Amino acid sequence: MAAIDRVDVALSLLKIVIVLGGMLSVTPVMAWVERRGSALIQDRLGPNRVGPFGLFQALADAAKFLLKEDVIPLEAHKWLYSLAPMFGLIPALTTISVVPWGRPFVLRNGRLFEPIVADVNVGILLIFALASMSVYGIVTAGWASGNKYSLFGGIRSSAQMISYELALALSAISVLMVAGSLRLTDVVWKQTGYFVLFDTIKLPAWNVFSPAMWLSFVVFSVAAFAETNRLPFDFAEAEAELVAGYHTEYSSMKFALFFMSEYMAMATMSALVTTLFLGGWDIPWYNEPATFRGFILSAIAFVIKVGFLMLVFVWVRWTIPRLKYDILMRIGWKVFLPLAVVNIVLVAWFIAERWI
Amino acid sequence: MISFIVFFFFAAVAVIFGLVVILHRNAVVGALSLVASLFALAVMYVLLDAPFVAALQIIIYAGAIMVLFLFVIMLLNLQHQREAPTRPIQQFLGYLGSAAFAIALVYYVAKYSVMQLPPGPFVADARTIGIRLFESYIFPFEMVSILLLAAIVGALLLSARGATSR
Repeated sequence: MAAIDRVDVALSLLKIVIVLGGMLSVTPVMAWVERRGSALIQDRLGPNRVGPFGLFQALADAAKFLLKEDVIPLEAHKWLYSLAPMFGLIPALTTISVVPWGRPFVLRNGRLFEPIVADVNVGILLIFALASMSVYGIVTAGWASGNKYSLFGGIRSSAQMISYELALALSAISVLMVAGSLRLTDVVWKQTGYFVLFDTIKLPAWNVFSPAMWLSFVVFSVAAFAETNRLPFDFAEAEAELVAGYHTEYSSMKFALFFMSEYMAMATMSALVTTLFLGGWDIPWYNEPATFRGFILSAIAFVIKVGFLMLVFVWVRWTIPRLKYDILMRIGWKVFLPLAVVNIVLVAWFIAERWI
Repeated sequence: MISFIVFFFFAAVAVIFGLVVILHRNAVVGALSLVASLFALAVMYVLLDAPFVAALQIIIYAGAIMVLFLFVIMLLNLQHQREAPTRPIQQFLGYLGSAAFAIALVYYVAKYSVMQLPPGPFVADARTIGIRLFESYIFPFEMVSILLLAAIVGALLLSARGATSR
């Protein structure tokens, strides 16, 4: 292993600052997008008082969260009630560390700058590991509130999350089989080529265009909705049913932490869908050179793709009604899990026949 | 040097949270402390150059099995029970048994702590594990699958019996 010197540490710190800054700024941007976007879909205006087009609404929200009284209910478990929002925040902030967000390029002194905070051999497994930790935030919040309805919301949501984790992981396996590695950088590099159709049309070799993996794209996207507790799977919140579900009893800063962790989980899932299926940082039909310019263009492409997917998250939330709970659990186990398994068999067959 | 500090820190975390599991009276706090202890164990696996096993430990044990434990604990809503008064002879035998077990454990770990690894470079990635699992260890793999299937069928039967017996 090469010795790590001060420049490496400084570059790693820079990468951490960039990624952390990006993740922390997701919340105010998405709050505005959600509120104006939902207003657009519902044919109303949304916040438009605080700044032009309501752009500074997030500042007003932040001021509210800082100044509001922090109420702790009598029946709540003292320690777990305060720790639960942190359990929710940790997976949301850490999973983004293994996602590559730009093209690796060569610095002026010959070093290779890889825009990924931690390029581990088992990258995707870490994401699944930390995603399975996000169940604990919800279930602990539901129980520690001392409120029966919060407990219902927490238990229902965690049952849903662990059911859809299976479909999530199994549908990602087909991508990993084709890429031949668990590293996300390898998965993205494999998608930088082109599919040539009929000798004329050059499609970027993104996994979503691949004949075997579009099905896993669909399954993974649906499971991503279920994992982040967004409509049509939002039993954790279930605004019309359980007041506010597992975060009913939370006020001010603790609620803000739940709010943030939901948007950050959404951003991480979008980043993961982008990396696995939409080619990550790859710009279609452009061969990015290994220079700073190529890196910046690829980082912008990545952000555009992730932003588009988050728009889709908001769009679906305000379009599709919530499914009934037993229907949701039934399709999780009886539809998406068999689909994901069948997809693995299909992709394995395609690889054996050397069509992929 | 860094691995030294990391090892002792996470070993302390594992031991402390293990003690919390045993000694705390609230079952939910105990279950969550077990999760923290399992996380510390996963860090140990990473220190031993086995990140694959560490990730699997978190996904399977801390992420699925402990969630199941928590479901049961939260839905049953156990109050901390009155403990039945134990007689002095029971306490003495309990302490004696656990002390004997601890001494035997430490002794055998110290005696057999130098193990012979198979020759060749140590590779612990998914490809090697997959190949080994499906070539050398295929029989235990299939037996474990059958065991899990038996557990699932047993669980289904038990729950079905409860539902049909009105």
